[in-house]
Amino acid sequence: MDNNVNAVKKDGKKKNNFKSNEMIMMVFVLVLVILIFTVLNKNYFTYANMSNILMAASTIGLLAIGETFLIIAGHVDLSCANIAAMSAVITAILINGGMSWPLAIVLVAAGSTIAGLLNSCLVNVFELQPFIATLATSNVFMGVAYLACSGKSLPVGDKGFNAIGSMRILGIPFPAVLMVVCFVIFGFILARTIFGRSVYMVGGNAEAARLAGLNPKMVSTILYVISAVLAAFAGVLMTAKMHSGQPSAGSGAEFDAITAAILGGVAFTGGTGNLAGCFIGLLIMQCFNNGLTVINVSSFWQIVAKGLLLIVALLLDFIRRKKVFRKFLEILKAKEN
Amino acid sequence: MENYVEFKNIRKAFVGVQALDGISFRADGGEICALLGENGAGKSTLLKILSGAHQADSGEYFINGREMKFHSPMEAIQAGVSVIYQERQLVSELSVTENVFMEDLYCNRAGIVDFKRSHEEMQRIIELFHMPFSPQTKVKKLSAAYQQMVEIMKAYRRKSQVIAFDEPTAPLTDAEIDILFGLIQRLRDSGKVILYVSHRLKELFRLTDKIIILKDGRFVEDVRTANTSEGYLVSKMVGRNVGDTFSALKRNDQMGDVVLEARNLRGNGIHNVSFQLHRGEVLGFAGLVGAGRSETMQLLFGGDKVKSGEIYIDGRLKKIRNPKDAIEEGIGLCPEDRKEQGLVLGRSIRNNLTIPILNKISRRGIIDRKRERKLSKEAVAAYRIKTPSIEKIAMELSGGNQQKIILGRWMLADLKVLILDEPTKGIDVGAKAEIYQMVCDLAREGLGVIFISSELQEVINICDKVIVMRDGTVTGCLDRKEMSEEGILSLAMQENGE
Ligand SMILES: Nc1ncnc2c1ncn2[C@@H]1O[C@H](COP(=O)(O)OP(=O)(O)OP(=O)(O)O)[C@@H](O)[C@H]1O
Ligand SMILES: [Mg+2]
Repeated sequence: MDNNVNAVKKDGKKKNNFKSNEMIMMVFVLVLVILIFTVLNKNYFTYANMSNILMAASTIGLLAIGETFLIIAGHVDLSCANIAAMSAVITAILINGGMSWPLAIVLVAAGSTIAGLLNSCLVNVFELQPFIATLATSNVFMGVAYLACSGKSLPVGDKGFNAIGSMRILGIPFPAVLMVVCFVIFGFILARTIFGRSVYMVGGNAEAARLAGLNPKMVSTILYVISAVLAAFAGVLMTAKMHSGQPSAGSGAEFDAITAAILGGVAFTGGTGNLAGCFIGLLIMQCFNNGLTVINVSSFWQIVAKGLLLIVALLLDFIRRKKVFRKFLEILKAKEN
Repeated sequence: MENYVEFKNIRKAFVGVQALDGISFRADGGEICALLGENGAGKSTLLKILSGAHQADSGEYFINGREMKFHSPMEAIQAGVSVIYQERQLVSELSVTENVFMEDLYCNRAGIVDFKRSHEEMQRIIELFHMPFSPQTKVKKLSAAYQQMVEIMKAYRRKSQVIAFDEPTAPLTDAEIDILFGLIQRLRDSGKVILYVSHRLKELFRLTDKIIILKDGRFVEDVRTANTSEGYLVSKMVGRNVGDTFSALKRNDQMGDVVLEARNLRGNGIHNVSFQLHRGEVLGFAGLVGAGRSETMQLLFGGDKVKSGEIYIDGRLKKIRNPKDAIEEGIGLCPEDRKEQGLVLGRSIRNNLTIPILNKISRRGIIDRKRERKLSKEAVAAYRIKTPSIEKIAMELSGGNQQKIILGRWMLADLKVLILDEPTKGIDVGAKAEIYQMVCDLAREGLGVIFISSELQEVINICDKVIVMRDGTVTGCLDRKEMSEEGILSLAMQENGE
């Protein structure tokens, strides 16, 4: 027994090291990316450009939060970017129609829950694969966005509303602050609450979780709604940033969001990952994409590079599960001690 | 030509544990050689090294004098080694034939699978095993026991020189076990090397010729089965005398009111099942594979839809729509299939232990982590789950220790009724005795316990009453005084409506 307790202490410590090691590696990669681009172009590591990066990260970050929750629970939402686009357009329409902007935001957020419920219904009631179901709804939402504005971008003149996109708090763009706050709140929910734990358990083995008293369908329904509402906020931010509602605003952002999550260690097999990792993954991705622009890589090559980054993220996920990587970490750890 | 397998100084460590610490022994063809040891002694790990699923850190193993070093299960299969793992390795979406002939389905010259011929071959094997399913059946449609038989057919079909069985009988009942043993003996007589892992000592005496005892990853002793006794084996593997498990049990003899009553339950292949469970009672459910015992429990627990019938708890009619409702009413279930239904294998022991009590260890939805750790440690200690830490991933525990997590989970919940579906599956002798005592203690505390087991001796010695099922109906009910193996078996095999 005594022996056992000692073992517990030892191993408990090891375990922590193991996790934080992965985290340190990721921060290291982030710093490396920033360093490389700084060396390549002196305009990279400047206040203006870093603000740009954060600004771009803010909308994708909101989507990535929803995506992380869903992927951990064994689901995925390919429609979130188009929910954002739809919300962006509808926000513009409502404000241009004379509605006060706070009310418009509330209405759009409330409306987006319907989109989330639709996704959940297809997955939970009709038992479609999340990938297929949300791919289908994604097109529906995009169609709605284009129909609502007849394919044109809708300028918004409301100064108060547009300030959301340009306001700064302590020099940091408000959208970025909002995103970070969301990461903190949802990170806490995921790591510390019953609901967060349910997400992990359902993602690890839905049937076992159900037989132990959790409700997998309820959990995933809530997650699809969260993802949709966060996407709606992302859409609102896009409209405020660009001073217009554009149906093409978020196209492809769902892939960026998924890439960020996977880069951050969220595994597609479900049941593992966390938001801190996702956050760093997000920063790595944004710093990388922005860096390519700054050093004048053509936008076509940027698309290729984005794809490659997703592949790298998936490979990392693969390697993480391999013994080689563990051995490597063990060696690292041995050196530390 | 004599077949044999020899291990020399095999060592294997995982993070935090030395699973194998220098194992050496030899197993000869024409003999059935048992591996015996407590949960976590390293039996499965040794077999996984033999099958190429793990690689040893050091040491060698030889087959017929040639040193082997398998890097993958495929290499081992090609070298004539088949291992039937403790955890089933079937593709549930595929047919029986496709699973059994996995890597070499019959093909015609163009390389297109000849399903007709494959199915015919499969049919021959099925007949040999006296199984009731067809080659085309999808594996997911089969019960746990039949899936296990499919797994065994796979090894049989490969005509390997070395066949290892890791607790093959855990999900089986006597009828299938008889068939299986007949086959294993035939394999032995044809000169193959057979390694056999089981926690059921009676089986070892019935089947094996030699027993290798392991403890904490070390070789302890090898004995000829004919020259030894149960008591001796147990004392060697546990390291102390255990005594007669059943006679030492302190049972409960005060029964209270009816806590759970089922009336005319139907659904999921169950017809009109009714029974009463009292506080402090241990109610056994016996029957052959497919008798509907687990299905009945799934109905009670809200795991499957009830078509008709009523469930009363403390005399009040309750509607149980899902497991959550059941748990709120104070019913707990340890399901029979730990991999599919019991554990979230990729998460820690702590996470797995506290799923049903998350509400109790939280304030306003936020988990009290200190409390969670404390309770988890208590459960690990109470159930002697062998692990270096509560943070260890469930997948990395030995089979028996995984089973203990599922039991330990309910210790933390506040229950009126605990349903145990094959709770001693894969559990070692010492731990079994502890579980029996625990069941009796729970009854003494006033819980109603439902105990499903295919080991009749268990049922007879622990239960106050046993309900026997067949084909989804109750065929009889025996009191403690009336219980006997013959009595239960004859009810279990009885034709419907007599
Ligand atoms: N993949 C793994 N990672 C980490 N530890 C492992 C792994 N597999 C096994 N172990 C550890 O190795 C030890 C031996 O496990 P093993 O599965 O061989 O036991 P066993 O003798 O088969 O027990 P049981 O009778 O319970 O099946 C255990 O302490 C277990 O926790
Ligand atoms: Mg084992």
